[in-house]
Amino acid sequence: MKLEGTHELDALRERVYQCLVTPEVLQRCIPGCEKLEKTAENTFAATIRAGVGSIKGVFNGTARLEDMREPEHLRIVVDGKGQPGFLKGSGDLDLEQTANGTKISYVGDVQVGGTIASVGQRMIQGAAKMMATQFFTSLGAEAKTAVGEPPPQHGFFRTALRWASGILKRLFSTQKAQKAQK
Amino acid sequence: MIPTQFDYKAPATLDEAVALLASDLDGAKVLAGGHSLIPAMKLRLAQPQLLVDIARIKSLSYIREEGDQILIGATTTHYQLESSDLLKQICPLLPECAKSIGDVQVRNKGTIGGSIAHSDPAGDWPAAVLALDADLVLVGPNGERTEKAEDFFVDLLTTNLLPGEILREIRIKKPSGRFGHAYQKVPHPASGFAVVGIAVNLTLNNDGSCKSAGIGVTGVDVKAYRATLVETALAGTSLDDNAIAAAVSHICDGVDPNSDLYASGEYRCHLATVHTRRAIQAAKARVQ
Repeated sequence: MKLEGTHELDALRERVYQCLVTPEVLQRCIPGCEKLEKTAENTFAATIRAGVGSIKGVFNGTARLEDMREPEHLRIVVDGKGQPGFLKGSGDLDLEQTANGTKISYVGDVQVGGTIASVGQRMIQGAAKMMATQFFTSLGAEAKTAVGEPPPQHGFFRTALRWASGILKRLFSTQKAQKAQK
Repeated sequence: MIPTQFDYKAPATLDEAVALLASDLDGAKVLAGGHSLIPAMKLRLAQPQLLVDIARIKSLSYIREEGDQILIGATTTHYQLESSDLLKQICPLLPECAKSIGDVQVRNKGTIGGSIAHSDPAGDWPAAVLALDADLVLVGPNGERTEKAEDFFVDLLTTNLLPGEILREIRIKKPSGRFGHAYQKVPHPASGFAVVGIAVNLTLNNDGSCKSAGIGVTGVDVKAYRATLVETALAGTSLDDNAIAAAVSHICDGVDPNSDLYASGEYRCHLATVHTRRAIQAAKARVQ
């Protein structure tokens, strides 16, 4: 499957590039990334809980950065597998400084196999597009903050939801307890 | 083919269902007809901890007229909508759309609410409720709210339903005046899902010109959408062949069409253009 797209980020190209090669930043930006560890120079091991709607799966894999030409180009090679299937492929990212920020163009070729490919074929491209948009939106927010500043709160909404759900849970469990007492 | 272990609760009322969902926001899932969720569970693509079965809540299944509105309960099945004499009379788009869904077994179990809440990119109901400019009534732990169908579909399998919320009712303004409906679909030969599906709700002025058009498109983008550019281009025209051809050329504007093994994006857009034209012509011919 071919993946292609461009995203405009409101940040300097050098800064965007730095974000793309910093594991901590990547972990915060990749949707559902639970773990991202450096295992060798420019090589990372990752655990990603990816999914759309009720379809979810955990993938384990490696990502390797190649052909790095700061600050204009890099290539990412990924290889991962999980319960719903496997994926492997590579993508080239080109960064271009524009008047308003940085334009990232990516072209990739990814092979997806297993259950997810046989039954979810018609949705894979849509899911990839959705995750790419989430990733670059978060990356843009990260790159906008200066080095040393606290990371932006693009996870704020999720955190707020979790917080609200916690309160609800407590609320309902007390109600239940009260009902039980009656 | 065997799902992971899960709990199953069949509450008797909607309030109980909302409370059950809130007890496990991450792990609980609403079960209605089960024709998307159960296959996903059997393949272990979805592994909910708890299923809250709302299909057994009797008060959620109805089709009725109230004032100038048509109210449809979320667990009304495709078959009930397909065979409703009331709808055939006052809103024929719904029975026509229902008839095109899957096969008899699917239509006997599958529900309109389940299809809308699941927001499958190739589901049929999203196109119909968009064309009819429906309101969706959502109920959650914080009470009830209403959302326009147009704002409801966000992305692939993603809607504006908040965690813990259940789609309760679909509200449609009763079509009035000189209106005509049509649902035109190219089904995938294996699954029956829409490769493209076009729902048209057309209203004419007394002189036969187009007063307004509602057009819902499914199968083309990652979510169903309203073809507002086509709608505006049609309004005020005499709906002759040239006017329709000019309007339908906008059907894929601003859309990055889906591409899969069966149909490329380019082919999908071509199909959408042709079938929007046919759907508009069919709707026009049905105006009384």
